[in-house]
Amino acid sequence: MHLLQVDALTKRYGHETLALNEISFDVRPGEFVAIIGPSGAGKSTLLRCLNRLIDISSGQVHFDGVNVSSLRGTALRRQRTQIGMIFQHYNLVNRLSVIENVLHGRLGYKGTFEGILGLYNEQEKQEAVRIIESVGLGEQIYKRCDQLSGGQKQRVGIARALVQQPKMLLCDEPIASLDPNSSKIIMDTLREINQNLGITVLVNLHQVDVALRYADRVIGIKRGQLVFDGDPNLITDQQIHQIYGSESGDLMLNLRERYAAA
Amino acid sequence: MGVMTHSGRIRVRPLTKANLSIQITLIGLTLLTIYSFSTFDARNINLFAALGEMLNNFRMLFFEPRLKNTDWAELWHALLVTIGLGFLTTIFGAIIAFFLALLAAQNLAPRWLAQVIRAGTAFVRAVPTVLWVLFFAVSAGLGSVAAVLGMTFHSAGYLIKAYSESFEEIEPGVLEALRASGASWWQTIFQAVLPASASALLSWTFVRFEINFSTAIAMGATAGAGGIGYNMFMASVYYLDLRELGALSYAILLFAMLLEWLATRMKANLGAKG
Repeated sequence: MHLLQVDALTKRYGHETLALNEISFDVRPGEFVAIIGPSGAGKSTLLRCLNRLIDISSGQVHFDGVNVSSLRGTALRRQRTQIGMIFQHYNLVNRLSVIENVLHGRLGYKGTFEGILGLYNEQEKQEAVRIIESVGLGEQIYKRCDQLSGGQKQRVGIARALVQQPKMLLCDEPIASLDPNSSKIIMDTLREINQNLGITVLVNLHQVDVALRYADRVIGIKRGQLVFDGDPNLITDQQIHQIYGSESGDLMLNLRERYAAA
Repeated sequence: MGVMTHSGRIRVRPLTKANLSIQITLIGLTLLTIYSFSTFDARNINLFAALGEMLNNFRMLFFEPRLKNTDWAELWHALLVTIGLGFLTTIFGAIIAFFLALLAAQNLAPRWLAQVIRAGTAFVRAVPTVLWVLFFAVSAGLGSVAAVLGMTFHSAGYLIKAYSESFEEIEPGVLEALRASGASWWQTIFQAVLPASASALLSWTFVRFEINFSTAIAMGATAGAGGIGYNMFMASVYYLDLRELGALSYAILLFAMLLEWLATRMKANLGAKG
């Protein structure tokens, strides 16, 4: 049984631009999948088609047995609660505190008026506090988010996604704006979530070395087409060249060699 | 082409079309000013005596303020009426503007709807407040009702523009994040848009209150809306009493300063609390 089934997914902007071209892949529950590819390849578009932040032009997406492509209104909102999302720029409301931002993850479960007034029940609050502590922000719980560092903000983003109690996490370049140390903390956290909670993780990455190190499986996207899907240990230098184009491919490979040596 | 002119001097500022047109405009205005001064009919006026009179009037206005036809109780009551008029129209305008501004912000509403509302409010703003008051006076009669309606109308038009632009400055990613977690449109508005723009909304509302306060004074004088404007109108047109006019002006000035102080404090509090 697959958790996510993507079948000939195509996204067209206007008549000319083909952002995604008949992409098909399946994801089993509990997998850690890295999606790699150059900027503009369609990685972000792909993730956003999976939770329908972007409408699909043609093809099918099934998540947990539900056909996501045709959902609307409340049904779509309920579906989205099952999928958490983490962003490159964290996308927190900076003027609100850590716990307020984390509780936003519960809005999809709430009625409109409860959500508008921010009425969360005691159980939800306890869960939020527990998750905030588990990502190591117990001290910062009432701090305003604009007072946090980038790495801390991203951990708030992860906590907000976890409080949804999702089956899958979509991570759109989660470490692209972070320094190496914070990046490692974030990637380790994602791996722990994947291994300990059994949540499926799909992560877009620029950094091939990080993808190869953390993922069970790598998907390569180039100009909207799926060009690689398989075990990170089996990906060849030539295939990385092919995904990134030769020049940037050289840079990636150098990095990889240096990691191998270290 | 060199930098030298015919006479052999170096030109610092190149003679462009823009520079030339500015120079022509300035010369033209200077000539017009000289001409208009030369045509003044000042035969019966002694310039020095007139200047003295004027300074004397200013002295009465600013250095000898006192009340005569208005007593203190009436002054405070009148000031309260004017403040009330400014406050009421600002609140009404702000409530209407908040909801319409949500539909006028391009990141929150469909493009066509935002554009329709924008065009409508641009028209409302283009017509001066006084004209809206006169317009409503046709149905409501000249007085406080027409003043409230007209001022509310213009305030709403002004605040819709200000609010919707504040909403548009919100990071698009924040809205995306809430949508991705399954939040509905109204939830996104109250949980992300409102907290993120609260301080901007408060600033704009205060600016508008200041405008409405001064408009309320003018409406008291011209549209029969009552308040301190009416007392000033009487002191000026009927009693020709500069001293009383001075006292009333000071009362207004005092209140304006109080308002400014209050606004600064509230903004500081909001910034600290978040």
